[in-house]
Amino acid sequence: MSITRKNIPLYFLLLVSIFVGCKKDSPPNSSQVVIAIPSDVEGLNPLFSFSINEANINELLFLSLVKHSWDEKAGDLITEPMLAKFWEWNNDSSSITLDLRNDVQWSDGVPLTIDDVIFSFDVYSDPAVESYLYGSFIPFYTDKDNHIIAEKTFEKVSDTKLKISFVSGSSPSLFNLDFPIVPKHIFDKIPRKEIATSKESFNPVTSGPFVFEKWEKNQAIIIKENPKSFLHKDGNIGRIIFKVIPDYNARLTQLKNGEVDLAEYLKPEDVDELKKSDAFIVSSLKGREYDYLGWNNLDKEKFKKNKSITPNKLFGSAKVRQALSMALNRNEVVSSYLRGYGELASSPISPIFKNSVNESLIPYTFDLEKAKALLAEEGWKDKDRNGILEKNGEEFKFTLTISSNNPRRIFAAALFKNTIKQLGVEMNVEQVELGMLIDKINTKSADAWMASWIIPIPLDLKFSWYSNLATTPMNFPSYQNKELDALLDQLETKISKQQKNELYKKIETILYRDQPVTFLYWIDNVVAYNKKIKNVKVTPLGTVHHCWLWW
Amino acid sequence: MKRSVLLLSFIKRAATSVLILFLTVSFLFVLVRIAPGDPSLKYLSPNLSPQLIEKVKSSFQLDKPISKQYFSFLENAFTGDFGISYKYHRPVSEVIYEVLPFTIFFSLLAFTLQFICGLLLAFWAFHHHKKLLDKFLSSGSIFLYAVPSFVSGVFLIYLFSVQLKLFPSSGVKTVGSLEANFFFLAFDYLYHLFLPVVVLALTGLPVYFKYFRESFEENQQKLYTVYLRANGVSEKRIYLRHIIPNSLNSIIAYAGVDLGILFSGALITEVVFSLPGMGRLAVNAIFERDYPLIVGCTLTAGLLVILTNLFADLIRMKIDKRLVKGLLN
Repeated sequence: MSITRKNIPLYFLLLVSIFVGCKKDSPPNSSQVVIAIPSDVEGLNPLFSFSINEANINELLFLSLVKHSWDEKAGDLITEPMLAKFWEWNNDSSSITLDLRNDVQWSDGVPLTIDDVIFSFDVYSDPAVESYLYGSFIPFYTDKDNHIIAEKTFEKVSDTKLKISFVSGSSPSLFNLDFPIVPKHIFDKIPRKEIATSKESFNPVTSGPFVFEKWEKNQAIIIKENPKSFLHKDGNIGRIIFKVIPDYNARLTQLKNGEVDLAEYLKPEDVDELKKSDAFIVSSLKGREYDYLGWNNLDKEKFKKNKSITPNKLFGSAKVRQALSMALNRNEVVSSYLRGYGELASSPISPIFKNSVNESLIPYTFDLEKAKALLAEEGWKDKDRNGILEKNGEEFKFTLTISSNNPRRIFAAALFKNTIKQLGVEMNVEQVELGMLIDKINTKSADAWMASWIIPIPLDLKFSWYSNLATTPMNFPSYQNKELDALLDQLETKISKQQKNELYKKIETILYRDQPVTFLYWIDNVVAYNKKIKNVKVTPLGTVHHCWLWW
Repeated sequence: MKRSVLLLSFIKRAATSVLILFLTVSFLFVLVRIAPGDPSLKYLSPNLSPQLIEKVKSSFQLDKPISKQYFSFLENAFTGDFGISYKYHRPVSEVIYEVLPFTIFFSLLAFTLQFICGLLLAFWAFHHHKKLLDKFLSSGSIFLYAVPSFVSGVFLIYLFSVQLKLFPSSGVKTVGSLEANFFFLAFDYLYHLFLPVVVLALTGLPVYFKYFRESFEENQQKLYTVYLRANGVSEKRIYLRHIIPNSLNSIIAYAGVDLGILFSGALITEVVFSLPGMGRLAVNAIFERDYPLIVGCTLTAGLLVILTNLFADLIRMKIDKRLVKGLLN
């Protein structure tokens, strides 16, 4: 048969059928799980685990001295053994002696020893390496460059016993020891400045319950079970594919199609359809992320001119900020946009921390009359009856800057603009690209902005609320309060857990009263996964946390 | 034309291209640095210590004046070193080299499809000049041109992946497949690329269709066609030997630019189908303020546009010798 115009469609169909006929699915593997991730990792070296995806994958590839689990009932963390089988603090908690396992090997067969542990502390704190933990080894003996001084810190008691000493008066905890240990025999050969770019950072030698199999750049990261690991259990998940799918709709489609077994950060509007299907379990990870509306507490013009810190003419007063918090109809966002996958926030401490959260603080309710009265008390009145409040000849006008790629914040900004207008306040909404928003917040050149924080576990408030703006660059609203500083300092001293919780509650009360930002709502991370995966525990520590226990 | 004159003209054109590239890269180098944004803040999180922010700024040389950064960049660029990507911690050339083969292959497939289909459909429509089919194809091409690729992409995914389950919805190969057979891998690759290539080709196809269709009409009315017909030359020969070659000239000039742009990345198609191409790489570099990678991607894209244009001009010169002097100068 010759190729003629008439039979071209036939040839086309034949070609398509050849393609489709040649289609061969990956081998059906019940012990294989495909997890959708929105972007590729930058590397597979735990020293540089800056993103959540990298931290999640590296946690499966590398062991830490201890591991942490979430106790749902107590609303707190539990420390469990990992590389360290036992540990013992001395009387004044100025040192700890760890008893390490002697049955752990790196994936290249070399045993993991105390030397790897000491090396890890050294390399993580080395300024030349620029690891993600650089500058955070506060209770350790360090030099002026924050590099741990090994001679003062470590003492090899035996082949498996290691004593770690801390600066006297500091308050070390097991959290200071919870980071992935890296192989000395691999990284010791590489100049410290070149570790980040070395090929070993992309083809790792590992020690965890999974070993690295393959990294198909911008497509997938594949890891498989490590039968030599003491965490390995026959019958559990044998292979995990982290599939890179940047587009949200493509992630959702592949989840529904069965090409992906687990996807996170699903939009609440898609949940109902997923719930209707028998194939999925929909769960939500609560209390890790909150949206806030930040008020620039300082005068941005004066700060730009000579770095002087003077109260902002609009937002410098706590009463004004309280009034603005009362004028935002946050409930509407929780019910209409989040569809119940979120709850109102009253402070930066999440309700998941059952012992630390101050439950007596009720989120500010939407009350325009009360808000007007508060503004009037502060001298903001509409004297010229143009619908906008004035004080000392200045009208209450400002710009709210938000990221242009966040539909939730675009929705909330439109809503808040309307409600706040009823108060006599004119708010313009400016949408910018995320990098530009971060720049504006960081240089303190925004009037007000909407953003979110993913809260650290264990709790840490000092990084964003301490008054010293030079040492606390993430105090974006530039809120300064000596009383709060004293409480934050006390948290770093040796005190009991109960005393700490009391301090947290006091801190919350101050932040609630002063409203340096308006704490808007806690946002659930909606997760859906295929029912074929068993024993998944969605906790505040993450979805894939401890996933070697899945089967 | 003498060979020496030709060579001189060629050198002149190459020098102009290098100058354009140099100016583009220099302009961009300064522009991205004065634009708002700070690469050291991309890892913004409670764990990020102020000390680390300062260290990162220093190692990215962001604490130095832009002029110093620029001269240091030029010094290294002359040795072929375009710096280390802030995001990937690897040389920029290595990161680009990883996505370039895919981008070129993918673009060439789409380009070939749109060029050939455009030509065939135009020929078919012209054959049914002013009849229903011609009108249908002309209107259809306008419709296709108006449909953005994210719409056609999502529609084709819905139809062929979700409903008919004929083609995969993303990626360039079956992720995690243990198959190592070359033929399987080749088929797997083409099977995954089928929908994305169609989507990308659909955006350019109407343009080629219109170009060809109008060129055919224009040449059909020219005196040489009338003369050939009057001399009894067959219609087939008139089309194949005269009308099509004469129509190709202006289309190839457009195709040169078009192919260069395709090589620079097809962002929307790459995002919708999760493909590892230049478009995604460049846009992510911009969002993440990965300055060395932004400059590297621009340089590569610029170079490809210049090369494809040059290639297109060489083809045009081959077709029509009269163009040699004008095109090289």
